[in-house]
Amino acid sequence: MATLDLTSITKDFGAHKVLSGIDLAIRDREFVVFVGPSGCGKSTLLRIIAGLEAATSGRILIDGQDVSDAAPVDRGISMVFQSYALYPHLSIFENIAFPLRVARLPEAEVKAKVARAAEILQLTEKLSLKPGQLSGGQRQRVAIGRSIVRNPKVFLFDEPLSNLDAALRGEMRVELSALQRDLDATMVYVTHDQVEAMTMAHRIVVLNKGRIEQFGTPMELYHHPATRFVATFIGQPNMNLIPATVTGTGAEGVTVAFHGGAQMTLPVDPGTTRAGDRVEVGLRPENLTLGQGLAMRLRVLERLGGTAIAYGMMGDGLKLCAALPGDTAVHEGEEVGLTFAPADAHVFDAQGRVLRRRQAPALAA
Amino acid sequence: MMDRYTLLQKIGIYFGIAVFLTFILLPFFEMFMTSLKPLNHILRAPYQFWSDDFSFDAYTRMWERVPLLGRYIWNSIFIATTVTIIAMIVIVPAAYAYARLDFPFKTQSLGLFLSVNMFAGAVLLIPLYKLMRTLGLLNTYWAMIIPGVAFLIPTGIWLLRGYLEKIPKEMEEAAYMDGASRLYTLRRVILPLAGPGLVVVATTVFITAYAQQYLFAVTFNSNGNLHPLPVGLLQFIGYQNVEWNMMMAAALTGITPVLLVFLFLQRYLVAGLTAGAVKE
Repeated sequence: MATLDLTSITKDFGAHKVLSGIDLAIRDREFVVFVGPSGCGKSTLLRIIAGLEAATSGRILIDGQDVSDAAPVDRGISMVFQSYALYPHLSIFENIAFPLRVARLPEAEVKAKVARAAEILQLTEKLSLKPGQLSGGQRQRVAIGRSIVRNPKVFLFDEPLSNLDAALRGEMRVELSALQRDLDATMVYVTHDQVEAMTMAHRIVVLNKGRIEQFGTPMELYHHPATRFVATFIGQPNMNLIPATVTGTGAEGVTVAFHGGAQMTLPVDPGTTRAGDRVEVGLRPENLTLGQGLAMRLRVLERLGGTAIAYGMMGDGLKLCAALPGDTAVHEGEEVGLTFAPADAHVFDAQGRVLRRRQAPALAA
Repeated sequence: MMDRYTLLQKIGIYFGIAVFLTFILLPFFEMFMTSLKPLNHILRAPYQFWSDDFSFDAYTRMWERVPLLGRYIWNSIFIATTVTIIAMIVIVPAAYAYARLDFPFKTQSLGLFLSVNMFAGAVLLIPLYKLMRTLGLLNTYWAMIIPGVAFLIPTGIWLLRGYLEKIPKEMEEAAYMDGASRLYTLRRVILPLAGPGLVVVATTVFITAYAQQYLFAVTFNSNGNLHPLPVGLLQFIGYQNVEWNMMMAAALTGITPVLLVFLFLQRYLVAGLTAGAVKE
């Protein structure tokens, strides 16, 4: 229904820079998730798009129209809040009808629109109740209902699932993804949970300290993280980072030496990296398998059934985590050897920038 | 649960409550007892708590002794009600502004308002008298209503602001996102949610207005038809004797309608508080 473009958005609170130079082009009908640690500016950015807060500088365009100075309702935007922000004294019907009442729509039209929204969200039987009589998931659906009756161009969600328990959160993730498809809507969703980002987003914006670290599809971020920050933020359990020194660069890639002395040639573009540079080798726990290589003292083993997450320490005190098959015969306290395919390794330079991987899965078109 | 007290603790708590209630309620009880006794029993020495001649005589004779008594009771309620209505009309938007909006000298101006309350009404009587005279309001209801409102606004704002601040900001933001204006949001979202707070503030204002009438009435009003009950009660003080029993009967009769209203409001208050507990 609408594209959303942000150009050089900045936001200062006094001397404190919350956002600096945010440029973003969100496509029509795209589900984009802003993800990042708390304090990274993702909620502020969402509130600026919503019109609840003014950017210090920069423009916001919806469908090519500059709405930077428009009121939220004139931007064609609606928002679902973390706390649902339902009105406890109004019935579910009136809660959903609120935006229509503000717009002074005729009663018949209000009834029809609320009925349709309630049907989509399976709230038809609950319309006469008060929010206090609903469960958390139902309240969340009412909040969504209030945002869809107005037929906005862009939907904004501010951590909508963080008040729900784990099981319900999983359920609502699926519902939201389905809703996005059904409504054919452009959605921007803020969360600190990388699982929500990975599962729902068409594209993810990873924010850190008020800057965009990377903007790409979930699998792009997973296979080709642009920075060390993105690499450790995306993926569960977190990526292992092992310090190493570059001993040579060549056509096959970069040869590194680990502190234990082992050498390995990793198929990545050397870029400006030279022999002697210190780098970090990033290894995803799921890419580690038992075998000759890195020696780890196994401290805790979490058996999840299908997989077993092994947490341990290498000789030099470095923490390491590996996701092994569920039935792997290893025991806590044991010394285990871990190995990996060179093609699975990520290499980050001293500034935390990635050296491009050559043999990783191709970028999704 | 919070109510896990031992028997001994419970006895202690109830004892404390009993002492406290005795202090508060004994004067009312004594008023009631006095109103039932004949005058010569009241003045009997030594003091006798129990009389052998109780009657409701004073309750009928007081209307003859002070023919305007009904009028005084009505004046009291009328003045306090008008003060409450006018004060609330001013307090609600002001408290909302102090709770939500940002404007220059916000804290300073609220402090200034409150500092007015540091002065006892009596200190300001003479300037107020001059003001009322200049405005030509002496000997009218307004002379008792306007100062009453003025003295109650600061505390009212202070009290209500606390309630309004507790309403989650997101509710307003959600309404704002949906295109609602500030006034629409205030009317449809904030005020219904602040219901219990409004009742508390209105109650406080009413009670204070009821209690502070005496000073303003004695000073700014000499029209006998406009006097509130506290001034009217003075008429039971005669040249030769004070009709204590009738005075107590009149005082009790005067507060009864107010008492009934608050008994009703109290129930609403409790219901309102639990209704507001719906949101997290």
